[in-house]
Amino acid sequence: MADTLTSPAFEIKMSTINITGGNKSSSSYKLTDTVGQTFQGQFDSAGYVIKAGFQYIYTLTPFTFTISNLDLNFGSLVTGTPSLLTNLLTVTTGSAYGYTVKVIEDHPLRLITGSITIPDTACDLASPCTQTDATPWTDNARYGFGYNIQGDDVETADFVDNTYFRPFPIQTTDLPATVMTRSGVATASAATVTYKINISGNQAAGTYQNNLQYIAIPSF
Amino acid sequence: MTSTKLNSIIHLLTSSLRGATRRGNPSLLDRHATLAMTIVFLCFCVFEFFISVSSVHAAGYGLSIYPPLLQVQVKPGKTLTQVFKIDNLTGDDKFFVARLVPFTQADLFGNPVINLQSTAPWLSYFSLANSSVKLGEPFLIKGNASEQLVLSLSVPENAPIEDLYATLLVSTYANTSGVGYQGSLVNATTGANLLITISSEAFPATLLHLEDLSITQGLVFHIGPYYLADNLTPLSFTASVLNTGDFRAETKGLFRITDRHGQPVYLEGILPVNVVAKTQRALLNDSGQAFSFSPHLGTLGPHQVSLAIKTDNANTENSLNLIFLPLKLTAGLILALIFLFTIFSPPKTA
Repeated sequence: MADTLTSPAFEIKMSTINITGGNKSSSSYKLTDTVGQTFQGQFDSAGYVIKAGFQYIYTLTPFTFTISNLDLNFGSLVTGTPSLLTNLLTVTTGSAYGYTVKVIEDHPLRLITGSITIPDTACDLASPCTQTDATPWTDNARYGFGYNIQGDDVETADFVDNTYFRPFPIQTTDLPATVMTRSGVATASAATVTYKINISGNQAAGTYQNNLQYIAIPSF
Repeated sequence: MTSTKLNSIIHLLTSSLRGATRRGNPSLLDRHATLAMTIVFLCFCVFEFFISVSSVHAAGYGLSIYPPLLQVQVKPGKTLTQVFKIDNLTGDDKFFVARLVPFTQADLFGNPVINLQSTAPWLSYFSLANSSVKLGEPFLIKGNASEQLVLSLSVPENAPIEDLYATLLVSTYANTSGVGYQGSLVNATTGANLLITISSEAFPATLLHLEDLSITQGLVFHIGPYYLADNLTPLSFTASVLNTGDFRAETKGLFRITDRHGQPVYLEGILPVNVVAKTQRALLNDSGQAFSFSPHLGTLGPHQVSLAIKTDNANTENSLNLIFLPLKLTAGLILALIFLFTIFSPPKTA
């Protein structure tokens, strides 16, 4: 049973209150009892107790993650001219309290017939970016593959505007990078990811591919 | 499939035209020819429309999972099951793969640090009781339909007494070798967390330490063990709790400000969240915000700010000393006096 206790000075939201309890006394005894906590009893008799969902959120709605487009087809690439694509990520926490969306790639964009890659971007030379630190990438003489994200629950101190990019972490060596996060309920939080490829004139011709994996996990 | 249907329609129309020709009716033949061409054109347009719409749908992803969190306390030798409901929110049939990834670390806000390569021997305790779905193998969910994953946990009699943490990940399944374009194929994964405590007792003891209780906002001076704070400026507090024990605990408790007589002048509940073993977690009020207090003109003198967590398996408390002073008011009065003194001071005599 849940309830909220209030007074003019304070408010306490309690997850559970006892069914009954308190101090009972007579001339011959003094007893403090509590009735209503059934966890111990359930555990002793069944051998297990299961709690599904969050006790401090009362809805039973699911955790939801959507991506607008799973196929990022850049088509033909032109040397020194960045190619851009976008897709939209949305998250609804439902009965969860907070979430993160992380991303990782299996490898840099790689020729399907060989091992030549389009390297992950290092952004502009003046302020190189890393997998966790976005910096401007506006110089068309800087080549590579990277992403920017703008919208709800995005670290705006890092992705300051749409010129700030990061390279993707690589599955075999790195941990996924966080792109959206919130410590609280989210209802259709949406963010747009912009993918950018810029190749040099020395890039070998052919079809380059990789896999990006987005992982949306509720907080506990 | 679409082209087959189109071919069938063309075949029917062609047959009709042949029939008209055999009957030797030229005007009927002309009318049939015009009608046939119109129908073929319309059919082509309609099919093209549906093909393009379906390819747009095929490119998207939408999945929901319930429950997002499962907390289990179980004795060795017991078996239990929990249903996870998975909804395919797109209109297209899609293949998914379910798997469990263990984790041991989490950030300050209860987000597990996931390494997709990690594994653990105790993952063998888990299985799916579904007849047609297995962990690690693809399964189909039709467009706008649901699937129930019946997760079974069988703890052996000789299982160690410990906490097990894992995330159930449901990922899109795609054969990447079939992608014919230049670019990236996006895979999507949605997860739900499992916090399992294997124990013979209901409340296995753990060790919590309240740390970093400090003031983050307000007009405050820190002198030795005391904070001097203005009594007209709102204050914000931050704190975290460290679980150095071996079992999960919940952050049930109170944030309290008491006056010099020990009487509470402000109380807030702590948001009850999980702190898994060997991790640290930020504490928030029950609205999910930082603890805050707005003093008033009468709030003066020494006060104590305390945080206390009292759970079924761990207790901890921490506090700081705060002295409220009319700093802004005093500064304002001094400025006013200087102003008045400047105006009404006697003129200098030669």
